[in-house]
Amino acid sequence: MKRRQGWLFFIIFLLTLAIYLLINYPLQLGLDLKGGSQLTLQLVKEDGKVTKEELEAVNSVLDKRVNNLGVSESNLQTLGRDQLILELPGEQNPLVASRVLGKTALLEFRTQKVGTTTELKNLQLQRLNIKDLISEYSLLEKDKNDDISLNNIRNMLEDIEDNLNYSSTSQGLYAKLIDTKIYINNEIANLFIKTELSGKDLINAGRRQEQTNNNWEVLLTFSNDGGEKFENITKSIAGTDQLLAIILDGESISEASVGSQFSNTGITGGLATISGNFSAEDARELEVQLKGGSLPLPIEIVETNTIGPLLGSKNILKSLYAAISGLIFVGIFMIFNYRILGLVSVISLIIYGFFNLALYSLIPVTLTLPGISGLILSIGMAVDANILIFERIREELKRGNTLIRSIDSGYQRANSSIIDGHITTFVSCFVLFLLGTNFVKGFAATLGIGVAISLFTSLSCSKTILKFLTTYQSLRDRNLYLSKESFL
Amino acid sequence: MKLFNLNLIKNRKKVFSFSFVLILLSFIGILYSSFNTNYKRPINLGMDFIGGNELRIERICEKKCSDISPDKVVENLKMFSENKNIVNNIKLQLQNDYKLISIRTPYLKIEDSNKLINNIERIIGPLNFETKKSRLIGPKLGRKLLINCATSLLVSLFAISLYITIRFDRKYAFFALLALFHDLFIVFGIFSWLGIFLSIEVNSLFAVSLLTIAGYSVNDTVVIFDRIRENLKLKDKNYNETIQLSVNESFRRTAFTSITTLIPLLTLILFGSYSLFWFSISLSLGIIIGSYSSILLAPSFLLKD
Repeated sequence: MKRRQGWLFFIIFLLTLAIYLLINYPLQLGLDLKGGSQLTLQLVKEDGKVTKEELEAVNSVLDKRVNNLGVSESNLQTLGRDQLILELPGEQNPLVASRVLGKTALLEFRTQKVGTTTELKNLQLQRLNIKDLISEYSLLEKDKNDDISLNNIRNMLEDIEDNLNYSSTSQGLYAKLIDTKIYINNEIANLFIKTELSGKDLINAGRRQEQTNNNWEVLLTFSNDGGEKFENITKSIAGTDQLLAIILDGESISEASVGSQFSNTGITGGLATISGNFSAEDARELEVQLKGGSLPLPIEIVETNTIGPLLGSKNILKSLYAAISGLIFVGIFMIFNYRILGLVSVISLIIYGFFNLALYSLIPVTLTLPGISGLILSIGMAVDANILIFERIREELKRGNTLIRSIDSGYQRANSSIIDGHITTFVSCFVLFLLGTNFVKGFAATLGIGVAISLFTSLSCSKTILKFLTTYQSLRDRNLYLSKESFL
Repeated sequence: MKLFNLNLIKNRKKVFSFSFVLILLSFIGILYSSFNTNYKRPINLGMDFIGGNELRIERICEKKCSDISPDKVVENLKMFSENKNIVNNIKLQLQNDYKLISIRTPYLKIEDSNKLINNIERIIGPLNFETKKSRLIGPKLGRKLLINCATSLLVSLFAISLYITIRFDRKYAFFALLALFHDLFIVFGIFSWLGIFLSIEVNSLFAVSLLTIAGYSVNDTVVIFDRIRENLKLKDKNYNETIQLSVNESFRRTAFTSITTLIPLLTLILFGSYSLFWFSISLSLGIIIGSYSSILLAPSFLLKD
């Protein structure tokens, strides 16, 4: 009897601990329950596998970018060998994040090839033209279809294409415009020669509004080494008609001349500004990208999952109703069929529920919709264990054994079946957790934890409570255990 | 006292023919689906596995939402969009008294997806962006997920088989696994038919449900085989009768367990969110078929002529 009391206190202690944990460490809800966006990013490598170092490097660059974006409570983690998952809670727009994160942001400084001045001037002019056409087209799209203006744009585009001796192969006007823009940018970049200076030589980036107009510019701060390189480059082209281009991901964002006053020393001080007609938002995005450094490998966004916050709270309520009503019905069924034994199983199920939730907050397990269904199924497993035991106890009682002996041998004989069932389920959970996607992992985690706890609660908890109840003489009536009629 | 007394020995042939018919129907469904449907696969794979874009959003309406036919919306969309490939393959539905719009398209970039919503808002009126739910899955990721799900399924089936073979002797293990594959095949077949008639698609949750069914089915069969083994050791009765007795002894347990597992699933079907609806259905089917196969089919294999 003493040992049983020890167990009872132990269970009460664990239960108190569980409730304490739940109050102090609230459950973490997944995005499908609280709303938000989830982006899956795939690293793209043409040949060979992505190495661990590369994945980590990309992870750290993206982490810096996300932090600099100022997204609160975001979560970035690696998935498998070549994927990353970014979670943005709440109403934050996934579009901005995807734009900022998706770019490689490889910054280069290049000097112009000698004798290409006229070519460059023409390309710069065409770039301006195509930019106007694109903004004109975007305006048009909002005001329904306007055939005259569309035709106008089409003709102007043809003029540009003729001038460049280029023809876009894409279908659709918008795609053609974008193609031509990319072509021009490439041609401009090709007129420049690479230098040693690149984004790696930066130690900081910032932004400020230009004094003369509303445009923004991005400020670059070089490292000592980078500052020297910048001095040498500017010295070499100062006073000539060669320009210095700042190129981001192969696209020239600014071309500038260096005045002859710098021909002796170059531009010193280790600072530079890029002023390429940036809007406030553009400047901020570029700043974030440069601060985080360039990505060692390009990434592609392969999955975007957005759930509005309102839908999230609806999901919680619905699943909560389902879980609670399911439990109540199961409880009624058990008490109806097993009387006192049913009551014991209801109490141990409630304890089971608390233990589960407490472990979720302790590990921590992020609760998602599939996670909740895993929990509900594991409750089924726990009930099954109780049924196995109670059926054995019933059999023993029918054979005319005493109550105490029936309980003891009931537990003993149901043991092996219960352990088998739990192990097979645990094996599938384990495999699912190892191999499954995030979605599947949530299910496997809650079901696996549930099965492990169920082994404890159904074998020791319910037995302890039952033994405790049977110490009262009035609760030892056999009729309280054997329902007289049963529909099966 | 007992209302139920299953006579396995007498009904053995009936059980076998019943299972045979179920397997045959599933097989026909899978074949029909592979060759005669527009997706040409044994089962209708959902967006999870083939990639695409799924959007659900509610409209803001005063009192009642105006009724507008989905075809008309798509027709109007054609006027706005440049990309014909998207508009021609769009599937648009209006549910809940025209309040909820759900859209399926091939894979789109986020920008294009946002453009699409804006266009729809221009056609159909204000939308409540708080209720927006969107999923974009690239075709590459979809294939990866499919392979991933198939491997998880195979590896864990293998692990379960291994455990059973260690736990029982070879004959018992073989029949337990036969019953397990019987259950999984029939659930798969039912979903093939659902795909043919109701265009129900399977997603990664379906793979999860198959795995859960596998666990349950093996568990149920193991409990009964355990009882058979125990009784064969104890009693000096006729072999066939011992098996029948064991099944009847564990019948209440199997039935009760199925009922208590079906209750929460039923509440999930009735009150749970839509994303878990077909998951709960397939689990319920699996549990019903699993109980049948462990009570009737698996022990019938063990009977001797």
